[in-house]
Amino acid sequence: MATSKNSGDKAKSEAKQADKAGASSAAEASFGDNIRAADVAGSMVVKAGGVGIAALGVSVVLGMGQNDSFRHFSLSYLTAYMWALSIGLGSLFWVILQNLVGAKWSVALRRVGELLTATIPVLGVLALPIVVPIFLGHDVIYIWADHAKVELDEALVHKASYLNPSFFLIRFVIYFGFWTLVGRYYLGQSLSQDKSGGESIPLRMQRVAGPAMILFALTLTFCAFDLLMSLDPHWFSTIFGVYYFASCVLAINSTLVLVSMWLQGRGRLKNSITVEHFHDLGKMMFAFTVFWAYIGFSQFMLIWYANLPEETIWFKERFAGEWGNVSWALLICHFIVPFFGMISRHVKRSRKGLAFWACWVLAVIYLDMYWLVMPNLKTEEFPIGLMDLTCLIGMAGMLIAALAFAAKNVNLVPVKDPRLPRSLAFENI
Amino acid sequence: MSHAHETQKKPTGPAPLHGLLAEYESPWELVDAATKVRDAGFSRWDTYTPFPVHGIDKAMGIRMTILPWLVLGAGLTGLASAILLQWWTNAYDYPLLISGKPFWSIPANVPIMFELTVLFSVLTTLGGMLVLNGLPLPSHPLDLKERFARATDDRFFLLIEASDPKFDAKDTRALLDSTKPAVLDEVLEDRATPSEFPKALVYGMVILTAAAAVPFALAAKARFSKSRSPRVHLIQDMDSQPKYKAQRENPFFADMRAQREQVDGTVAVGELRDDDHLFRGKIGPEYARTFPPQIPLDEATVARGQQRFGIYCTPCHGFAGEGNGMVAQRAELLASTGAGKGMAWVPPSNINQAYLRQQPVGQLFDSITNGVRNMPAYGAQISTEDRWAIVMYLRALQTKSAAGH
Repeated sequence: MATSKNSGDKAKSEAKQADKAGASSAAEASFGDNIRAADVAGSMVVKAGGVGIAALGVSVVLGMGQNDSFRHFSLSYLTAYMWALSIGLGSLFWVILQNLVGAKWSVALRRVGELLTATIPVLGVLALPIVVPIFLGHDVIYIWADHAKVELDEALVHKASYLNPSFFLIRFVIYFGFWTLVGRYYLGQSLSQDKSGGESIPLRMQRVAGPAMILFALTLTFCAFDLLMSLDPHWFSTIFGVYYFASCVLAINSTLVLVSMWLQGRGRLKNSITVEHFHDLGKMMFAFTVFWAYIGFSQFMLIWYANLPEETIWFKERFAGEWGNVSWALLICHFIVPFFGMISRHVKRSRKGLAFWACWVLAVIYLDMYWLVMPNLKTEEFPIGLMDLTCLIGMAGMLIAALAFAAKNVNLVPVKDPRLPRSLAFENI
Repeated sequence: MSHAHETQKKPTGPAPLHGLLAEYESPWELVDAATKVRDAGFSRWDTYTPFPVHGIDKAMGIRMTILPWLVLGAGLTGLASAILLQWWTNAYDYPLLISGKPFWSIPANVPIMFELTVLFSVLTTLGGMLVLNGLPLPSHPLDLKERFARATDDRFFLLIEASDPKFDAKDTRALLDSTKPAVLDEVLEDRATPSEFPKALVYGMVILTAAAAVPFALAAKARFSKSRSPRVHLIQDMDSQPKYKAQRENPFFADMRAQREQVDGTVAVGELRDDDHLFRGKIGPEYARTFPPQIPLDEATVARGQQRFGIYCTPCHGFAGEGNGMVAQRAELLASTGAGKGMAWVPPSNINQAYLRQQPVGQLFDSITNGVRNMPAYGAQISTEDRWAIVMYLRALQTKSAAGH
């Protein structure tokens, strides 16, 4: 007991000393960089928000034109929504992770990640078209929302204690409440450090990161079950949450690349974010491209090998007809092509190369979401249309507006983080 | 090897200069010094640090390594090997049905493809790194410098070798002096450490290498030679399976028989045979006077019947069905003469007899199926359809015979 207390105290005092030294050097590092988004963010809120709302409005009109009581619209909307949510949840994961491991390389990028978590409350509101029908007991997206239809299905009756509207609403509130809370906590702590330079703040953020990461893993897993897997409530796969998680990590690394490059294009962060940071983001994109394939195949292979009808039905729907081509496209475009495309160090260190692959990765994440959601529409002809595009533009617009709104009046770099000088001078070996 | 012999081989006199060693107290000083040495155009020099120093590659002007390409090649080789291995073993050389999957089944092969890709890549990364760095290096003149031990602790070193074409005892010293090292020292060639590997180590490696080839040699020999002794069988699971075999005793059942009888009324799939007309030639209790609808009344059936009749019936009944086949003729001969004289012989019927002409086709079918008098049953040898075809050919023979009379 005594020794552990001693060593703990010692570590604390050492950390304090390191904080002090770091803080002074950070203060010394006069910031020769434009780190306020101010006007560009202000105009972006209006532009992106306007485009987003208009695109979503057009989607609703197109959805009415389908004459299927919004079934097609709802699934298109859900596809785009899960794509957008992967960016929001990815940013939360990324911020928790950087704090958990005490990462130094990423400090210069961290504020952008923290600002991206501000999209989560907006995503909570954007979920209303999905949540409200469940609350009203309509089976427009999820068959288990309709009590009368559940009664007719023996398997669903047994799952009803989990898959029912009221319990779903409780979970939904918990998910978004927790994510919003954690996102606000990290952004708030980080911003308060900008003002006070509080030396204990990084340590506090690190302590919170452990439990936050565990709860994040649980909420993300169950959210993926609820919003995506329960589209076909007979089917189940315990790895499904991890599969969606892979998309989240890919999404945030690609988004960080694109947002950082966009800011640099507007004269912001030109000296803070270097090719070394981009190189690392590229490595993460490459690594999680492989991770996605690994998880996707792990899910597929066990089901393929066991060959049980209740499990294979999900793949059967996706391997038949036109959907078979989409499955092949997913394998080729989500794994094989980006694997060889991003494997080279030179590509990851080239701005144009990395920007291209960041766009590519975000596009194939959408393809993946489309592949997960749309087969449930069960239409004769392949259901791709203009509405899918307007939903996607709408979601992207709302995300950008939320990010720009959060970024309007703050520093884009945590200027008083004691680890910042090390991040600015960071070099890959 | 004698001590005298060793000392004889060694050159005498002071050891020649190996190089100049500069020692620095911080990595930044080392990076600055390395930049200067790089710009001076030296080629045989190196830096030594206790930890990876950021930017030292650039400062030293180290070019991109070829290792990534080697690793990519090795990874693809591993991938190809995995595919080839699994195709060869399970689809080509020894096809083995597993879980009802195809013999060559890519999804099942992916884990091995992944593993071998990683294995080949990792081994090449490690081996390539060692080889490209000139490792393992059994000894180096720096090993004799006591100060140099701090390269693993808190000091940063830069060594320019005397063998560098640009090396000049005075100028190079001046250059290094200008980088303000904490210590600048000469390194002499190592004469204490033998320049050859110890013999014991070399012999040991040779023996181990030879021993490593033995299992492969044995496997190759076993593959291409024959043997009377049973194979070495490490995993016995397939030989001693915990199960009962037919005709063995099993105390679990009252009758102590491991082999169980079928449950009463058990019918194998496709063997119900509940069509009386087709399978027994009967409609109700009566023999059928018509052919079953499954048998086409056409020339092909008659031709088939003729062929089957030729195979199964002519030995006794003869080609025209008159009861004078080869067997019948021989039996008649034996019964009347020679060794078989006096034995009883019931001659086969002439199918053209009036009572046989009037028999329903169903009864003829029944006679072929189950036999009649001395004629054995042919139901087991001839398929149902072929028996009906024979009946049809029989009718054709009878009709022809009647027309001829």
